[in-house]
Amino acid sequence: MMRQVKGGGAWASPFSFFQRRMGVTFNKRSLITLGIFAIIATTAYYFFTEKGITYIWHWEKIPEMLFYYGPKSADDPAPRFRMGVLMIGFVLTLKISLSSIFFGIIIGTVVGIARLSHEPVTRRLAHAYVELIRNTPLLVQIYIIYFFVGSMLRLSAFAAGTAALSIFAGAYVGEIVRAGIQSIHKGQMEAARSLGMTYAHAMRHVILPQAFKRIIPPLAGQFISLIKDSSLVSVIALADLMFQGQQAVARTYYAFEIYFTVALLYLVMTFTLSMATQYLEMRLAISD
Amino acid sequence: MIDIRNVYKTFRTPDRREVKALVDFSTSIRKGEVVVIIGPSGSGKSTLLRCLNRLEEIDSGEIIIDGVDIYNRRVNINKIREEIGMVFQLFNLFPHKTVLENITLAQQVVRKRSREEAFEIARGLLHKVGILEKENVYPAQLSGGQQQRVAIARALAMRPKIMMFDEATSALDPEMIGEVLDVMKTLAREGMTMVVVTHEMGFAREVSDRVIFMDEGQIVEEGTAEHFFTNPVHERTKLFLSQIL
Repeated sequence: MMRQVKGGGAWASPFSFFQRRMGVTFNKRSLITLGIFAIIATTAYYFFTEKGITYIWHWEKIPEMLFYYGPKSADDPAPRFRMGVLMIGFVLTLKISLSSIFFGIIIGTVVGIARLSHEPVTRRLAHAYVELIRNTPLLVQIYIIYFFVGSMLRLSAFAAGTAALSIFAGAYVGEIVRAGIQSIHKGQMEAARSLGMTYAHAMRHVILPQAFKRIIPPLAGQFISLIKDSSLVSVIALADLMFQGQQAVARTYYAFEIYFTVALLYLVMTFTLSMATQYLEMRLAISD
Repeated sequence: MIDIRNVYKTFRTPDRREVKALVDFSTSIRKGEVVVIIGPSGSGKSTLLRCLNRLEEIDSGEIIIDGVDIYNRRVNINKIREEIGMVFQLFNLFPHKTVLENITLAQQVVRKRSREEAFEIARGLLHKVGILEKENVYPAQLSGGQQQRVAIARALAMRPKIMMFDEATSALDPEMIGEVLDVMKTLAREGMTMVVVTHEMGFAREVSDRVIFMDEGQIVEEGTAEHFFTNPVHERTKLFLSQIL
């Protein structure tokens, strides 16, 4: 049988063999630190020895991809502060992500409520939507909406991209909203209805505010995923952050610098969202 | 005021057994009458209350309140519910709203009162139930007895014609039961029509006009509280009273 290792707890038990042989004690934190250190050391080794690639860094080219001062083109020769390509992509990604989050919340709320409807047709339609969207790849959905739906309705690439991401997010948000509503004690609905409130009033004033508070953590996760997934819209020639990054790499071959910067810019968006939801959670905790 | 005629209500449990909650149940409640319903758990007391404001659907029979058949499809049940206040065993206050907001929400949304008017009524009722100083705290910061008094104020704010209490003191610590019962007694003395499911026989003796003993979805015995204390007729009634007194 596995022997309990001091300080390790249940988590350390798979490592107990090594711990006994090496005479050291691991806990979770020291293992993570060790892992990060190993990755950095390996990377550094490959860069600084003859085994690695010889790469001349051009970090000095990155700032002008974010902001620069000067003329834009022959049509717009006025020298002034302008956004570089990566910043233009950043703004587009931000726009498309925020609109998709907005519409995703609306679609998700409707779908979440519809999935709990007493009307079988409504309930099944909502269920079918969720299953259909959740079980097909987003990339395929983006192509279908852009090439098929988009060309029928003459949608712009931006509209098609936003629609695809909103519909995709709506399915996941719908499930989160449904779980949130179901987690509210049924006495809340009964109390609201017994006061003469309609179902809609009870939902709006009593159930949804409480459900919303509970689903902030999973919603935040969903929207962080959405921001990252928005990079897929670059396939329909939408000049988002990913697209601009790829173009810049194709022009300059500064692949490492540009992709590191692109990653950092995505991180700025997702981390800000993460912080904002934590703040919101804290604010809403006052009634606990 | 309330006419209950031959009501049947059956529940289906998840394993598809049928539980008869109300069996051919009939009774009438006059305006201003205080009716206490007692009975063992599972006897259909709570179901009866919940049928009176249509929180449950019934299988057959009629419930007429103020001349309106509330199970008629064309009746707007929300209008009926405005007139029937309900107090729950677990209070069911809205945890995300302050005491004052709990009492004013339905006034504004349902009765369409202005904010000022709703607040004035709410403060008046908080004064009546004796917790005016707690108007801006959240329910989680109140004791059980205080929460239940807020719940009563919330129901009264609609100015209902009937008040129903579903084991309003059963979830309370013993020392808090008195403060809630006091509010209920005051209401009864003011002439409110009340239907009260409770095990508090002291309350029944002090203010009730009639006590109904239910078992297996039917009325076994009814009469004044005095009747129940001095000479209950049925064996089941005697057995039940011997267990709770």
